[in-house]
Amino acid sequence: MALVEIRDVHKKFGRTDVLNGVSLDVEEGEIVTIIGRSGSGKSTLLRCINALETVDAGEIHVEGQRVHARMPDLRQFRQRVGIVFQAFNLFSHLKVERNITLAPLLTGRIGKSEARPLALDVLARVGLADKIDAWPEQLSGGQQQRVAIARCLAMAPHLMLFDEVTSALDPELVGEVLKVMEAMARQGMTMILVTHEMGFARNVADRIVFMHQGRVWEQGPPSKLFVRPETPELASFIASVK
Amino acid sequence: MRSFSFIDFVSLLSALRWTVVLVVLALGFGAPLGLGLATGRISRLAPLRWISAAAIQVIQGVPLLGLLFFFYFGMPVFLGIQVPALVAVTVAYTLYTAAFLGEIWRGGLEAVKQAQWEAGACLGLSRWQQFRHIVGPQALRLSLPPTVGFLVQLVKGTSLASIIGFVELARAGQVVSAATFQPLLTYAVVAAIYFATCLPLTLWSRSLEARLDGSR
Amino acid sequence: MNFLPLWRYRDQLIDGTIVTLELTVIAACFGLLIGTAGAVALKGRVKPTRWLVRSYIELFRNTPSLIQLFIVFFVLPNFGLKLPAFEAAAVALSLYFGAYSVEIIRSGLDSVPRSQIEAGQCLGLSGWQVFFHILLPPALRNAYPAVTSQFVLLLLGTSLASQVAADELFHVAGFIESRTYRSFEVYAIICAVYFAMAMSFKILFAVVGALAFRWPRRR
Repeated sequence: MALVEIRDVHKKFGRTDVLNGVSLDVEEGEIVTIIGRSGSGKSTLLRCINALETVDAGEIHVEGQRVHARMPDLRQFRQRVGIVFQAFNLFSHLKVERNITLAPLLTGRIGKSEARPLALDVLARVGLADKIDAWPEQLSGGQQQRVAIARCLAMAPHLMLFDEVTSALDPELVGEVLKVMEAMARQGMTMILVTHEMGFARNVADRIVFMHQGRVWEQGPPSKLFVRPETPELASFIASVK
Repeated sequence: MRSFSFIDFVSLLSALRWTVVLVVLALGFGAPLGLGLATGRISRLAPLRWISAAAIQVIQGVPLLGLLFFFYFGMPVFLGIQVPALVAVTVAYTLYTAAFLGEIWRGGLEAVKQAQWEAGACLGLSRWQQFRHIVGPQALRLSLPPTVGFLVQLVKGTSLASIIGFVELARAGQVVSAATFQPLLTYAVVAAIYFATCLPLTLWSRSLEARLDGSR
Repeated sequence: MNFLPLWRYRDQLIDGTIVTLELTVIAACFGLLIGTAGAVALKGRVKPTRWLVRSYIELFRNTPSLIQLFIVFFVLPNFGLKLPAFEAAAVALSLYFGAYSVEIIRSGLDSVPRSQIEAGQCLGLSGWQVFFHILLPPALRNAYPAVTSQFVLLLLGTSLASQVAADELFHVAGFIESRTYRSFEVYAIICAVYFAMAMSFKILFAVVGALAFRWPRRR
């Protein structure tokens, strides 16, 4: 059984069909990159997996459990599924340490004495152990995004979702964030990413999913998809991002 | 004792004209003074900044009622002659208006980016011309909603003139209430008249603000 | 001008000042409670409640505080609710302050981006935890300047309570004036006391604000 099973998912915003019958499986340990033009439904799909949006029709299962905004253990579920946003969304009124330890403490995952060691541990994994006592606003965009990743890691998630996490960054800061994500991929984390970084998609992803008009239009390993696209839509998309 | 009649309603409504007179006087004298305070607050001369800031702090640190009594009893002390209540009241409301408008307009002036002054300077305009043609109009647009909002505060504030015996709407209400022994009806009517005067201003201020938000 | 005869009345002045402070704090506390409840109601889904809160706000913001006070003090007794002067003033001022607080608190809550709330939810926090730990601190910071300046206006506004003979500072002024006939001197002193109180609160609020909200502002 796949870790994530998406079956014929539909989603409308007002009258616009954003997702139009999406089906997709993601295996444990797999790195799946979703690409496509803006408005193709990539981010919405990601948000549905985490129950930030409810689907109108179809089903999403994660670890065999049906995902739904009213699922009884939504909070426990969200602790197992980490999501990193384009805009970092760090809590600017909390220092880096507290940003990371707030949720583990409040949800009872860890005790008070374990908090700082945990923060140090996950910060070390993103290379920012020295920023543990900084305010988020004192960090660069790339550093803030790495703290956001560390904040997710502190929940020891089984699955990580990345929603265009480098799109808001200055070009010279993109690399440091991608490096952290590559390292996570090597350690076997299951990851679903929406990204415009084609180089990253090509080098790190196990599978590329091209979305178009709210559907999975074409998918396959990067070596195939980037070299021999089957549909004209994907071919023109690849040409446009080169 | 008599009951509340149409005549009483008319007398209340006509007392509204004195409320309007107070507002017009307060704005007529207070607005120019407020503009002076606002420009003083952003002046390049430090003493001018201090004096304007202190004036605003003092006036805004004292109850309006206190200002009214201070000048009502103070004018004869300062001038050595008795003056009509209207003069004392006008002085108090003028200062009150000047302080609040000065603070509102300073906010407007500071909200206009420094680069706009510099752009004007680069075109060879004098500091006054920069203010008059570039920064002033933008600041006015930004501060129009709170300015109209202050107008509501001023209209309501004129009710305090009743306390030193000046017959405007609130005072007329007390007189009618005492004559008819119908405080409920009288004050309800008085409140309704204030409400009918203030609500349009409030709505105007809000629509100005919405338009400003929309254009940003 | 002669301020000396007023020295005898210093105890009354101090008592009046204390009553003024009590009135201010009571009205501020109840006003903030009303404001919070109103803000929650405005954000809620029940239409009649929203409409009710909107009417309350417009009614109390577009009529003079003085008239509201008169209605509470002179009119409510007709309905069998006779309040002593201080209580009547506290009720009227709470309602007045509440009408302004609703908007302030609501815009404070609205100023926190939705994405912050989502981020909290995604970490598995409960609704209450998100509200308390994520939403409230930045909302408080954003509402703080407006709340504190409204508080100072309330402090000055309590002087109206003298008109229903509540024993606050301004009423004490009337009493001293009637004993000494030093009208100007009395009101000059009273103004100075109010000014001292207003400035003290402004400084206090600035210090408390600087201590409570230490995180750097969003760029």
